[in-house]
Amino acid sequence: MIKYAQWNVPEGTDPPLLADRKEPTMQASPKAAGQTSSVTVPGIHLEKITVLRAGKVILEDITVSLNEPRIGIIGPNGAGKSTLVRLLNGLVLPNSGTVQVGNFTTARAAKRIRRDVGFVFQNPANQIIMPLVRDDISFGLKNLGLAASERLRKVDQTLEELGIAHLAERESHTLSGGEQQMVALAAVLAMDPRVIIFDEPTTMLDLRNRLRFQKEINGLNQQAIVVTHDLEVLEDFDRVLVVTDGRIGFDGAPGDAVDFYRHWSAQ
Amino acid sequence: MIAAKNDSWLALVPAGAKFAVLLLVSIGLYLVGHWQPLAVALLVSIALLLSAKVALRQLLWPLVSLLVIVGIIWVLLGIQTGWEQGAVAALRLLTLCIFAYTVSLSTTFDQMLELFQKVASPLKYLGANPAQISLGLALAVRFIPELKRVYLEVREAQFARGLHNNPLAVAVPLVIRSLRIAEETAEALDARGYDSTTTP
Repeated sequence: MIKYAQWNVPEGTDPPLLADRKEPTMQASPKAAGQTSSVTVPGIHLEKITVLRAGKVILEDITVSLNEPRIGIIGPNGAGKSTLVRLLNGLVLPNSGTVQVGNFTTARAAKRIRRDVGFVFQNPANQIIMPLVRDDISFGLKNLGLAASERLRKVDQTLEELGIAHLAERESHTLSGGEQQMVALAAVLAMDPRVIIFDEPTTMLDLRNRLRFQKEINGLNQQAIVVTHDLEVLEDFDRVLVVTDGRIGFDGAPGDAVDFYRHWSAQ
Repeated sequence: MIAAKNDSWLALVPAGAKFAVLLLVSIGLYLVGHWQPLAVALLVSIALLLSAKVALRQLLWPLVSLLVIVGIIWVLLGIQTGWEQGAVAALRLLTLCIFAYTVSLSTTFDQMLELFQKVASPLKYLGANPAQISLGLALAVRFIPELKRVYLEVREAQFARGLHNNPLAVAVPLVIRSLRIAEETAEALDARGYDSTTTP
């Protein structure tokens, strides 16, 4: 069972630093071996969100709170899944409504929110910025203002934890798809985010790498929000949203959500 | 060539000092007109390269290519201006390249970017942002192999559809895919906390 903590967002106050706040802790149910049992979440709330692009409605009137440790988002192509998760760290700003992460709104503090909300994109090749793996992981830490020695320590630690220390000195373009995805995850994890969003992370991976990556996601100490077409990834998740035609068509347990999606797709 | 992690004494020397010495050595080598001191300089450069603990496997092909070019230069200049003059030019070029390899392979890309950013910092008075220029340089180095891969994919796809040697058929999808990569990379930069307004 999951105990859901409530995140009360004070209105009309300046956002305090995250470090000054007391965090709610989500106690996730024990899952497979290696999975986390305690995940701290900042509390994400979307209120009456509408997103338009070139006059077309991408998302319409979405109100939802995302407070569980593992949340999946599924739905057909073009339904608005990627736009929905891009709202969560301010990569996309809504035309109306608010996105609140902890005490911050993306409209006012997107850069601040990005420190807490990491993002792993579908194509890791385009997410790796620097020519060398070590420098790429260090890139985000530099943006956080960490000193060179601290960056070096953090890079080594993260690569070690993910079991990819041997990739540290490799040139980014020589990595395989699976290695690139692990490096992209390492680059995000090194920044110690509290939420990690994955946008179709397993689409470009073979079965071996998919299983490995799935294990990594399940074992994270952070809240994970995963957009995927890979329904098996969702088996142990706490909650799954089905996005259809710019709306949340279903919101519930993974099994029920997948049943709903299959039924909806067959129509 | 991008330097891997290096724990030699040269890696501990600040990048600015190494490049400054390289500049001075380059000028100095052009002031020397006899082959004997240049041969000594070559030996010094080789000793430095070996002391820098660089991966010789990484250097193998560049050195082979360099030796071929230097050999051609020696022969051509030897025939035109005399063998001693040819040897002076060849030794100068070889020594300079080995010094340059030693410096670049004992300096990480990150250190080079920081140095570039410092050197380019006066440009901010002209309205330019050295941090952005530095990032642009890094992205160019990072994405040249990526664009080459995309180019080969597009060309293969066009060949499969019978469009042989049609530059337009390759250029249009290549540009479109490059723009898509640029868009995704820009998103990734934002997501990873890059602040384009930052100046050194």
